[in-house]
Amino acid sequence: MKVEPDQKVRINVKVNGVLHEAEVEPRKLLVDFLRDDLGLTGTKVGCDTTTCGACTILLDGRSVKSCTLLAVQAHGREITTIEGLSSDSKLSPVQEAFKDNFALQCGFCTAGMIVQATFLLSQKKDMTEEEIRDSIHGNICRCTGYQNIVNAIMDASRRMKA
Amino acid sequence: MVRIPFKRLFLIIKMYPPQVGYFRPESLGEALEFLEREEAKVLAGGQSLIPMLKLRVLRPKYLVDIGGLKELSYIKEGDTISIGATTRHFELASRRIRGLEILQEAASKVGDVQVRNVGTIGGSVCNADPAADYPAVLTALDATMKVRSKKGTREVKAHDFFKGPFSVDLNPGEVLEEIRIPRLEGYRQTYRKVVRRAGDFALAGLALAIKLDSGVVKDVRIAFTGVSQGPHRAKEAEKVLRDSKLTKDVIKRASEASTSGANPPSDSRGSSWYRLEVMKRLLQTSLEVMANES
Ligand SMILES: Cc1cc2nc3c(=O)[nH]c(=O)nc-3n(C[C@H](O)[C@H](O)[C@H](O)COP(=O)(O)OP(=O)(O)OC[C@H]3O[C@@H](n4cnc5c(N)ncnc54)[C@H](O)[C@@H]3O)c2cc1C
Ligand code: FES
Ligand code: FES
Repeated sequence: MKVEPDQKVRINVKVNGVLHEAEVEPRKLLVDFLRDDLGLTGTKVGCDTTTCGACTILLDGRSVKSCTLLAVQAHGREITTIEGLSSDSKLSPVQEAFKDNFALQCGFCTAGMIVQATFLLSQKKDMTEEEIRDSIHGNICRCTGYQNIVNAIMDASRRMKA
Repeated sequence: MVRIPFKRLFLIIKMYPPQVGYFRPESLGEALEFLEREEAKVLAGGQSLIPMLKLRVLRPKYLVDIGGLKELSYIKEGDTISIGATTRHFELASRRIRGLEILQEAASKVGDVQVRNVGTIGGSVCNADPAADYPAVLTALDATMKVRSKKGTREVKAHDFFKGPFSVDLNPGEVLEEIRIPRLEGYRQTYRKVVRRAGDFALAGLALAIKLDSGVVKDVRIAFTGVSQGPHRAKEAEKVLRDSKLTKDVIKRASEASTSGANPPSDSRGSSWYRLEVMKRLLQTSLEVMANES
């Protein structure tokens, strides 16, 4: 696959189970592709510098910061965004746990936090509080002070085991 | 009043990489072919490159995306451990390699989970941030970089590979293919770093491998990150320790000697003086732990 600087490139990406074919400039960021081209605005842009984690999505099942990937890097791969976690307006266990534990205030970090928590729980069901705190340090929250977020992730882990 | 033109204002709000071409090779051979002909930059995980494109520090004509090349992603174990350049941080962080335990420890301290899911060891090594974690480990362990171009292959020792901040011994058209690290069996190994905030680059980081025989230091390797233009091998401290017992006095003298030749920067994260103190403390406390364990 070769694309000139002033050309667009055809990409195939499966997003939340739906195959999308699109033409993008090679320089297009993945987060802009999701938000502007596909209208999936649940994923947020907080810092645009790989720091805050608001733009976290799953790429082939692993969490990544979509402000620091090109859309073309996702060609041929599978993406899950916050919109893909719930089905038929039924919230996922992590989403339920965030709601029930008051783990959000302004909500700007929430999509990224929930996607990150979903990834962490897919890797390891039993995490200590320490492990949870360590593995969400790429997600910044300016409101909650993190305690309820950590509680929610522990709660979600209990729900998923039940 | 300073007036910012509308277009500039827009750039401040949202950063886009500049216009750039893209090439996705099917094999390393194809990548080398392309790099030989075109003015292009290798793209691995993009975790350092994309921020630099956004800041317009770099403006290559093409990106050559080697991130998906399976042939460059592997860990092979023998007397030397061979690691493919596009092996991701998380893969190294989740694998304990006998005789190279330090690599797992260092990999699990790079950035955050998301960065480790995408970023590659080759990308970190070629980026050569003076505060990056792997360069200190590779320098302490005398690793060898296998560099490939269309013209052939050459091998470069870590010591010569890291030339300065963001500068390595790679010529246009060359790609880092593999990193080879000797297996240090029977060595205690540790990688520790001090950061101001979670996820920061190291204020100072220490890679330490030490071989003890009835309490006497038979061999020792010490390298720091974040305290010089590139990784800092603390040869003076190694000299103090070799053939000695890890007594309080020896540890103290080694820690003092470790700063010899270091030239830490002063910046918003810490002054040069402070970094020197952190270095000494890192080495002292690490050696104390090892002395107590033996
Ligand atoms: C928020 C954040 C925190 C971070 N924290 C740390 C940290 O604590 N410690 C740390 O060490 N690093 C840290 N990093 C950097 C991280 O390790 C990057 O993953 C790494 O530096 C780049 O790897 P990459 O695969 O993404 O390379 P890219 O960004 O794709 O490439 C980086 C550079 O290397 C070149 N390159 C890549 N691969 C090759 C190759 N095989 N041959 C030749 N040239 C090549 C590219 O052309 C480019 O110039 C952090 C990054 C971020 C975004
Ligand atoms: S917007 Fe991507 S990390 Fe902040
Ligand atoms: S809820 Fe406001 S940033 Fe986290």
